[in-house]
Parts: sequence; C-alpha cells; structure tokens
Amino acid sequence: MNPSSASLALSQPGAAQACTQGAESMDEAALIRAAQAGDHDAFERLVRNYDQSVLKLATNLLRSPDDAHDVYQEAFLRVYRNINSFRFDCSFHTWLYRIVTNLCLDQLRKRKVRKTEPSTVETPEGTVDRLETTPEYRPHADPQRSLLSTEIKHRIEDTLSQMSSRERMVFEMRHYQGMRLRAIGDVLGTSEEAAKNCLFRATQKMRTALGDLL
Amino acid sequence: MNCDDARQLLLLAGYGELSFEEEEALELHLAACPGCQAARAENESLESLLAKAELDPPPGLLARCRRDLAVRIGEESAPRRRFSLAHLWDRWVIHPPMWLRPVGALAMLAAGFFAARVVPESPMLARLTGGPAPLASVARVRLVNAAGSGQVRVQYDEIRQRELTGSLQNEQIRSMLISAAADPSDPGLRVDTMDLLKNHGESDDVRQVLLQALRTDPNSGVRLKALDGLKAYAREPETRQALAEVVQRDDNPGVRVQAIDLLLQNREPEVVGLLQELMRREENGYIRSRSQKALREMKASVDTF
Repeated sequence: MNPSSASLALSQPGAAQACTQGAESMDEAALIRAAQAGDHDAFERLVRNYDQSVLKLATNLLRSPDDAHDVYQEAFLRVYRNINSFRFDCSFHTWLYRIVTNLCLDQLRKRKVRKTEPSTVETPEGTVDRLETTPEYRPHADPQRSLLSTEIKHRIEDTLSQMSSRERMVFEMRHYQGMRLRAIGDVLGTSEEAAKNCLFRATQKMRTALGDLL
Repeated sequence: MNCDDARQLLLLAGYGELSFEEEEALELHLAACPGCQAARAENESLESLLAKAELDPPPGLLARCRRDLAVRIGEESAPRRRFSLAHLWDRWVIHPPMWLRPVGALAMLAAGFFAARVVPESPMLARLTGGPAPLASVARVRLVNAAGSGQVRVQYDEIRQRELTGSLQNEQIRSMLISAAADPSDPGLRVDTMDLLKNHGESDDVRQVLLQALRTDPNSGVRLKALDGLKAYAREPETRQALAEVVQRDDNPGVRVQAIDLLLQNREPEVVGLLQELMRREENGYIRSRSQKALREMKASVDTF
C-alpha cells in the first residue's frame, strides 16, 4: 500500500459512526494499517479525521480549554502508543472515544474530589469564566439579551455540573456530538437501553432547571 | 399510546432515534392530544436554549493541540536520544514532569532565599529594587555615560514583538520562516514552520531548508514534515542523497520508513547497494521486508557477499 495515496475516510469530524460500513471504512482501515506499520503521515491523517470532534467534546464536557488540551494530548498519545494493539474488533471511532471519555471521566471525578470549578477564575473584578474571555463568548451587543443569555448559560452549566459524570457524558455525546444512543452505549461499555435511561434522567434535570424559560 | 409513552418518545424523536413505527404512532397521538403538542413545543424550546450553551474550542486551541502533539510524538519516537544530554536537559529542565515542578519551584525559592542572605547587596541591585521596574523589552545595556547636568545617557538594545502578514513570496516573511526553521529553542515553532514551507519546495532556498531539517533537526516531528515537503522532489539527486543518509542514520523508525518509501518510488540502480546494506543491519521489520521485496523486484541479490 502506498500510504500517501490513501484517501481520507471521513471528511466530517464526528461523523465516524458511518465508518463501520462501506468504502469509507476500507479507507480508514488502510490508514490504520499504515499507521500500524509506522507511517506517521497516515497517523496524522487519522488524528485530523477526529481531532476537531474530540476537542469539542472535551471542551464541552470539561468547560476548560486547558483540561481539553490535556485530554486531547493524552488521548492521541495513547492511540499512538497502542495503535498496534488495535485489532479492528470495534470501529476506530468507538476505540478512540472510549479513550477520550475515560480521560474526561477521570478529570470530572478528580474535580469532584477537589471540588473546584476550573472554568472560572477569581479576579479583582469578581469571578470570571475563562471561556467567556474568548471571542465566541463575548456578550451580545444588546445588554438585555446578553444578560439573559449569560443567565441561561450559567443555569445550564450549573445543571451539567450537578449531573453524574455518566449522565453528563451521555447528554453531551447525544446532544452536542449527535452520536446515536447505540454508539454511546458502545463507547461507554453499556447497553443502548442504559444510555437511553441516562439520557432521560439528564434531560429531565435540564428541563427542571430551565422550566420557567420554556 | 398513552401520554406517558408519548412523552418518553418525544425526547427520542427530537434526536431522530425512533423507528418508523414508533414515529407513526407518536404522530397519531400528537394529532389528537393538545397536552403532548405543548410538550413537544417545550422540548423544542429546550433544544434552542441548550444550543446557546454549546461551546466551540477557543480560537487557536486546535492548532496548539496539533502542534504540541506533533512535538510529543516526535519526542516519544526518538528512543536512542533518550539518554543524550540535550534530551536530559529538555526532559528535566525545560519540560520537567508535573510532579517535579513544585519541587523545582521550592528549590529555586530556597536558593534565592539563601543567596540573598549570603551575597552582599550590590549597589546596582539596591538601585533597581528602589527604583522603577526595569523595561521588560530591554535585552542588553550597551553603553552608559554622563550627559551633563546630572543626567545619565544609557544606550540599550530593545526587543519588540511585532506581527507581519503576507504571502510566502514576501521576502521578509520568507527569511523569517527560514530563520524560524532553525530556531533550536522551540520544536513546536519548527513544526509549524515546516508545515508552511512544505508546499513551497519549488524554490531552492525552501528546498535547502527542508533538506537541512531532514538531515539535522533533533525533533522527528520536524523531520517528518520536511520529508513531506520533499516528496515531490524524490527524483532529484540531492534529495535522494539526503534520503539515503536518513535511511541509514536516522534514529526514528517512522522517519526511516517514510524515507525508504520515497526512495523506492524511483528505483534507480544506486539504491541496490543501500537496500543490501539495510538487509544486513536494519532492525525494523517493515523496512527489511520492504527492502527485500524491492531487491527481488529489481532482480538483485538480497544478500551481500
């Protein structure tokens, strides 16, 4: 195989569920085999197929750019170190997301022990959300809308932080990553039914928290 | 279907998780139930509220992650450098493990404390600590003299951070990139630079930078990027010479694999000796089997006698 000729299996990050079937999965399998043979180019292409969705998941789950960066590094380093042990008995997406979700679960558990909220920092002007300092999160030009939007965001974040780590994981993967419940079950090593129940509980908590705004 | 069942299915319907039959049954129920219609509307507003809280990674984070990953993978895949002085310096001083950082900070604090007690206070230090903070951008004071009327003249070098935007054809941009490609202090910067230069190997000066990085850069992530940039020039004698050197000397199997693949794209006769040499001493199984196959295809002897 000429690794450089292997075409990209998935052009859309996060669309990896589809990789289990058809020609796309053939291409991805070729990339994985090339990476297993030591082809760095193929490994880099594998990373680039998934890294945007991995970073987005970690950012949304951990709500801290630094923690998301650390999870990204550790996840892909683990993939790099263990690519030879990947035996195609599940999709690459599932394998990668298992690694990512385990790392995120570890981070969330550590936080519960430390009881810290890493997305916020104390400043002389009061508590500031670090994610809000980036352009996407700057307040809207209309102060009233901005206030409401900030209020909604804080309530959603509070509710997310009150969910169990698994509820939060299922909620994020289903809601923001658009993953099917079956795929979520595969990633978390549980059944589709259990993932569904988890999603119901999480959504119910969210509905209760935002009830007056609905 | 009763309302309890319908409310359960409404959520899954929003995520497109219902089967055809479930969706049909739900729609039939909704058509006749104003309560569940209201619940569906509530679900939809919950969806739009949740969309407000979705975060995109901050700008630049993805690029930083990719750059840091390239550097870490480069470090990981250079086992023979593990005990070099440069590696030890980098491993323990520049990028110490997390557990060592507080220890290092305490050690520096203690060293500062004791040095302040032992070393007599210098007049210059006293002036500095009593006066305004030194300019952060002053790199070096070059000359000092009295300027009359009690004034003092100080001549100093200054470092300023500036930004330049332009195409790779811009001479200034090009020369800065060439200089960044050789910056020994920042492998991440070199990886990024190679990434920018790798598609411009048609220029001699860029190709020379790629060749130089391939031969000498201590970071394998940088060398891999340089290799990438040289793919289109794998027929040229100078590139082939560099590739042959890499195949024989590079301590990273990934780099050697890529180099041998490039060399074998054009099977010139001079490659036979190199392949036979690899068969004799190469440890990497893939390279050995690749060499063996190529030698057979070229109808050359697999062994040297």
